[in-house]
Amino acid sequence: MSSPSPATAQRPGIHIEGLTVDYGGAAVIDGLALDIERGSFFTLLGPSGCGKTTLLRTIAGFVAARAGRIRFGERDVTRVPPHLRDIGMVFQDYALFPDKTVSDNVAYGLRARRVAAADVQRRVGEALERVGLSALGDRLPAALSGGQRQRVALARALVIQPQVLLMDEPLSNLDAKLRLQVRQTIAELQAEAGITTVFVTHDQDEALALSHRIGVMNRGRLEQVGTPAEIYRRPATGYVADFVGAANLLPMTLPAAVAAGERTAVTLGGAQPVSVVAQAVSALPAGAALLMARPETLVLGPGAPDALDAPDAVPVRVLRRQYLGEKTSYRVQLPGGEQLQVDRHGPGHDALQVGDAGRLRFDPASTLVLAP
Amino acid sequence: MSTVAAPGSRLGLDLRSPWPWLTLAALALLVVFLLMPLGNVLLGSFGRGAARSGWAMVASDPKYLQAVFNTILLGAVVTLFALLIGVPLAWFTARYDYPGKGIVAVLPLVTLVVPEVIAAQTWLMMVGNNGLVTRALAERDIALPSFYGWTGLVTVMTFTYYTYVYIGTLAAIRGFDVQLEEAAQSLGTSPAVSRWKVMLPVVLPAIAASALLVFTLVVGNFAVAMVLSNKVPLLSVLTYQASVSEVGSNPTLQSTLATLSVAIVMLALWAQRRVVARGRREVVQGRGARPQRLAGGRGALLGAAAAFVVAVSLLPVASIVVGAFTAARGPVMRWGEWTTAHLERVFTRAIDPLLNTLAYAAIATTIGITLAVLISYLVVKKRNALTPWLDYLTALPLALSGTVIGIGLLMSFNTGWLPLTGTGAIIVLAYVVRRLPFGTRNASSTLYNIPDSIEEASISLGVPPVRTFFRVVLPLMAPAIVAAAVLTWTTTVAELSASIIVYSGDRETMPIRIFRLIDSGLMAQASAYGLLLIAVIVVPIAVATKVFKIDLFASRS
Repeated sequence: MSSPSPATAQRPGIHIEGLTVDYGGAAVIDGLALDIERGSFFTLLGPSGCGKTTLLRTIAGFVAARAGRIRFGERDVTRVPPHLRDIGMVFQDYALFPDKTVSDNVAYGLRARRVAAADVQRRVGEALERVGLSALGDRLPAALSGGQRQRVALARALVIQPQVLLMDEPLSNLDAKLRLQVRQTIAELQAEAGITTVFVTHDQDEALALSHRIGVMNRGRLEQVGTPAEIYRRPATGYVADFVGAANLLPMTLPAAVAAGERTAVTLGGAQPVSVVAQAVSALPAGAALLMARPETLVLGPGAPDALDAPDAVPVRVLRRQYLGEKTSYRVQLPGGEQLQVDRHGPGHDALQVGDAGRLRFDPASTLVLAP
Repeated sequence: MSTVAAPGSRLGLDLRSPWPWLTLAALALLVVFLLMPLGNVLLGSFGRGAARSGWAMVASDPKYLQAVFNTILLGAVVTLFALLIGVPLAWFTARYDYPGKGIVAVLPLVTLVVPEVIAAQTWLMMVGNNGLVTRALAERDIALPSFYGWTGLVTVMTFTYYTYVYIGTLAAIRGFDVQLEEAAQSLGTSPAVSRWKVMLPVVLPAIAASALLVFTLVVGNFAVAMVLSNKVPLLSVLTYQASVSEVGSNPTLQSTLATLSVAIVMLALWAQRRVVARGRREVVQGRGARPQRLAGGRGALLGAAAAFVVAVSLLPVASIVVGAFTAARGPVMRWGEWTTAHLERVFTRAIDPLLNTLAYAAIATTIGITLAVLISYLVVKKRNALTPWLDYLTALPLALSGTVIGIGLLMSFNTGWLPLTGTGAIIVLAYVVRRLPFGTRNASSTLYNIPDSIEEASISLGVPPVRTFFRVVLPLMAPAIVAAAVLTWTTTVAELSASIIVYSGDRETMPIRIFRLIDSGLMAQASAYGLLLIAVIVVPIAVATKVFKIDLFASRS
């Protein structure tokens, strides 16, 4: 996705400082700080129970903060009740009013704001047109498909032109095909309206496809905040690397401290050590660390003759293989016993067989040293 | 869910929102009008200021011990018979199609439509000492055994209460996933054994719950017991007599006897909890069984048996119509001679019981349903540290008979800061307290089905929480509220055991007047009021189900 839309410079960003939230005595969010740029699409990504929904609901005002501040632009909303925060919210279960028609659902927020009846009708019509549901205004929610319901929910949240748009796993009740369609709708509407958006999901594909920036959450803390490419290519921790995409994570020992971005040679394996060049994402002291390599960045070739004509190639043996059509996924073993997953693409990607000897090359630019 | 941090949030109480205050207000009402009266009953048994404690009085007279024994025995026997009729009827109705099955569907309504006092009366009109059947048989020199005493008690109560077992069991069998039974059969057990091993344990908790309900109702039953017990001492009758005795009521004794009946119900509740806790199972709603067709001899037999049960259940309705239009001289019914004099008399000279019933029940239903909606909303949607207590207290009247509630209210509001004795308010109060658990349960089951996100969606769109309740939640609850109101109304207009203790003078309601007429043997006049009472019950049910298409039993379990 490109940079935030310039059309909406007046929309506030969201600024969170020192936020702490308790649930039954235990801190679910502990001293969290986050700045979300005005007009941008920000995704909170993490497994269930990581605190992402709690954070969203705290921004909405449904959950009380024990400490810290939340600002929409310059406006401190920490103690503002949710109905006065001027938010649009989209829920996982759609939360449409079942006894009201599609039009009345969309009109609900406008009527609460005492918008004139003629304006309500016009704006509801426009909103429904934008989500492609103009013909269904008189239906009850029960007569709509899941994808249509979530479009109505989107129209209902956006028609009031809220300061911020909050979405709590809006796609997870939809089947795979609808998910892609509604995802596209969300992306278009957000770009068009330019409303600062917080999107909660546990689905890395959604996060990567939709977001300007992603915050990966773990146990109530933001593990890393960055653009989709940064999160994927330069994960700050093993947790982020593992959660976003597939990653080989091998424990190893750094012989000396490294600076951020510095390339260093590290040694894997005890009895039959191999040497690998990797790049440190952040400055790290000497000692225990993790080597991270994504399966598609590793290059695997047949063992003999030496097809991978590179001095840094490592001898491996194929333990398992899975043919997946556009690629073959191999499990290979290093001389020291460590196992890695390697993906081969392109013609002949399925050429190696279980038991074959191979040569493996680590790409120095995408092999990383991470904090343990 | 509280909105923003505020004082009191450690207890889950956000004192800036209205919910904690409403919780406190509801709790205060329940403490004053339920807990305090109950406490007075329990404490009263030790005879504050009286010469002897009630326990000494009870221990010294074998009549009371006998009454306790009789009450438990009657409860056990009626529960057993109710199970023997209700469970097979439910089983065959759920799993088989037989000729005339349609009429069984009226059974849930019968319990609502026929007040207990009318059931007792109509049985007497048929097979009592002066009854239609008794006299017809006597002319052929066949003497029926006396219907008073155990025969009548067990017969009338069984046919009054077996429908609770039928309704509870039917719902459980219908909810049972037949795939479990099929799985058991696929693993090599015969159909009968699979049923026994797989289905019975799943359905058993529901049967146990309905059995407990029947037992509780029998122990607390006043109307049938009073009319039919004759020389069989029963706790509810003795309690009532201690409370309104013409030689001066005995508050200590009445408290003691009331406490005893509470203890019996509590014991039964505790026993049922243990059984259910042991056999507690998650029942996953699955595919129900398709009923099998039963034709030929077996089908006819089953149809006949079901028709007999339904006919006996509907007997009170038929005889009340006949009785209301049958001429009578004093207590002597002139069967075959018809008149409208009884009904005319009601409307021209004795309309007060009808008007009182309508007025008190209307006020009680309004107050009761409002409270039920508020309490269930707080308990289900606005949980805080206090709402569990609200939940427990609201369920408490389930374990209390009307007699106990009546005595408690009478003891608490006779004098003092809130003297209500002699007013209509105390009757309304008794109605509200007795029916609160049912209304609340109705409202709660609907609220559980309304996701929290719907309210949050409304709030996020700018509508404050209280206004959200009225604009979003209340409309969704409307069908359930109407159903709860109709059910509350039908049971309230028929209420006897609590109101007969707290009423005074000209504040008679129809059930009280019917009871007194039966007591004087004036069956024809009692029938006239009975017919009106049934009409007052049936009309709202008919309007709700036929005009508004509301399923009265949708949220009842």
